[in-house]
Amino acid sequence: MTLAMPNSTTKTKRKTRRSRRRPVFDTTLGRAALQALAVIVFFALWELGVRVGWISSFLVGSPSGIFSLAYKMTMSGDLLSDTWYTLFEAILGFVIGTILGSLIGLALWYSAFVARLVEPFIIAINSVPKIAFAPIIILWFGTGLVSKVALSVSLTAIVALIAAYQAAKDADTDLQSLMVSMGATKHQIFYKAVVPSTLPSIIATFRINIGFGLVGAVVGEFISSQRGLGHMIYSASSLYDLNSVWVGLFTLMIMGFILYYVIDIIERAMLPWKLLTTSHQLQV
Amino acid sequence: MQPTSVQLSVKNIRKAFAGKNGEVQVLEDLSFNINERDFVSIIGPSGCGKTTIFNIIAGLLEPDSGTINFRGEEIESLRGRVGYMMQKDLLFPWRTVLGNVMLGLETRGVDPGKAVDRARTYLQQFGLSGFENAYPKMLSGGMRQRVALIRTLIMDPDILLLDEPFSALDYQTRLYLEGVLKEAVETYNKTVILVTHDIDEAVALSKRVVVLSGRPARVKTVHDIEIDARSPIAARSDNRFSGYFHALCAELDIQTEAKTEAQTEATS
Repeated sequence: MTLAMPNSTTKTKRKTRRSRRRPVFDTTLGRAALQALAVIVFFALWELGVRVGWISSFLVGSPSGIFSLAYKMTMSGDLLSDTWYTLFEAILGFVIGTILGSLIGLALWYSAFVARLVEPFIIAINSVPKIAFAPIIILWFGTGLVSKVALSVSLTAIVALIAAYQAAKDADTDLQSLMVSMGATKHQIFYKAVVPSTLPSIIATFRINIGFGLVGAVVGEFISSQRGLGHMIYSASSLYDLNSVWVGLFTLMIMGFILYYVIDIIERAMLPWKLLTTSHQLQV
Repeated sequence: MQPTSVQLSVKNIRKAFAGKNGEVQVLEDLSFNINERDFVSIIGPSGCGKTTIFNIIAGLLEPDSGTINFRGEEIESLRGRVGYMMQKDLLFPWRTVLGNVMLGLETRGVDPGKAVDRARTYLQQFGLSGFENAYPKMLSGGMRQRVALIRTLIMDPDILLLDEPFSALDYQTRLYLEGVLKEAVETYNKTVILVTHDIDEAVALSKRVVVLSGRPARVKTVHDIEIDARSPIAARSDNRFSGYFHALCAELDIQTEAKTEAQTEATS
């Protein structure tokens, strides 16, 4: 009986492996085809609904209207200039906020005393919805580019700060001990052991922060602006021009989508040693 | 045999840690000498403070009292002059093999060009050339520990502190690395203090074995191992090997240990 046991287990193992075989569509091309199909079906149903009269084009717009408008706006250059403006604000806010926040967060590693001292203040600032600062920021920095960037910075900096500080606190103390035994200075331990070990967490905040950068830019434009996608969406919706609103929203979506992949590329370039594990993921 | 002279002398070291039920005295009046080019193994019941001794010698902890003398000179610690190797290989995952080996040279401010040359020479010596640009994640446990050994040796430390360096490895790899270690120590004329729970390993590698008592740690006995074998594997087939092995087993009171454990179980 006991001898038969291993045999039977291998049999079941083989069976489960077979049942785990990927479906035909689970390839890059297959998935892309399914995704494209989902988008097409979505827009087709929408268009159909509007044409037949199930839904009101006044309240939701219509895909055909959106596409022709997008084409017109692209040709005139308006869409591109608005997109560029918002993108510029978002990226500038993202870069300044993330760098500033990460630097402060990392610097807190140097002094446990200062870190403990400021911790409640950081938590207090973080618990306020930063968007609530928007009206004051516009008051302080005017209606131009600077106020949108400042709003983005206020959103992104705190996220980066907390992530960098936490990662520096969690950095492997054994590696630091090893460096102490080698006679390394605190400075050397910081640069060679702490900073590199925080990089994965800091880069992980890039994904969150690129979204917050866009939020800051768009909300800033909602409140007061003459340009940008946020301005376009806001003014169009006040005129019930739903197609224009959708053009703005879809442009933002595509922008965020592309930025996400840009971050992916940055991550691969900065963390070559991290990639090795992602290649063979556990199959459950 | 040339006359041996004392290289490192640890005297009357005391160290207590704050525990749940007040202070726990880990080291009490611990003293021992390490000779030049010595190979000393420290064995003792688990949790008796072996790692604490190392942390004090390496300058990671300060003793409550006691002195450390190095070649007749009283010093605070051997920080920067020891090669500390632990059970975990502690390779920096974001550094390549070459980068990891160069870590100590970098902190010491060695010219990068020279550091690279030296690292390559060492890697070649230990059969790791071709792996310079590999990340630790890609290596086997044995290879990782070999890289850690190179990182330790390349600093040319006065004393190697090895804290159960091979205990996480499988037996074959352990035997192989013991040989690598012994050979390297002889090539580079290093003094070694090895903490281990493996009596077999202690006898096969050492010139002397220090047996510590349970907490607080005190030196119970020091055994001279007079096996003059070329390799740790050859040492294991020496006819005096099993004699030392049994003597040390008896010294560690393994039966008494089991009895006290049974007693504590019964009371709890």
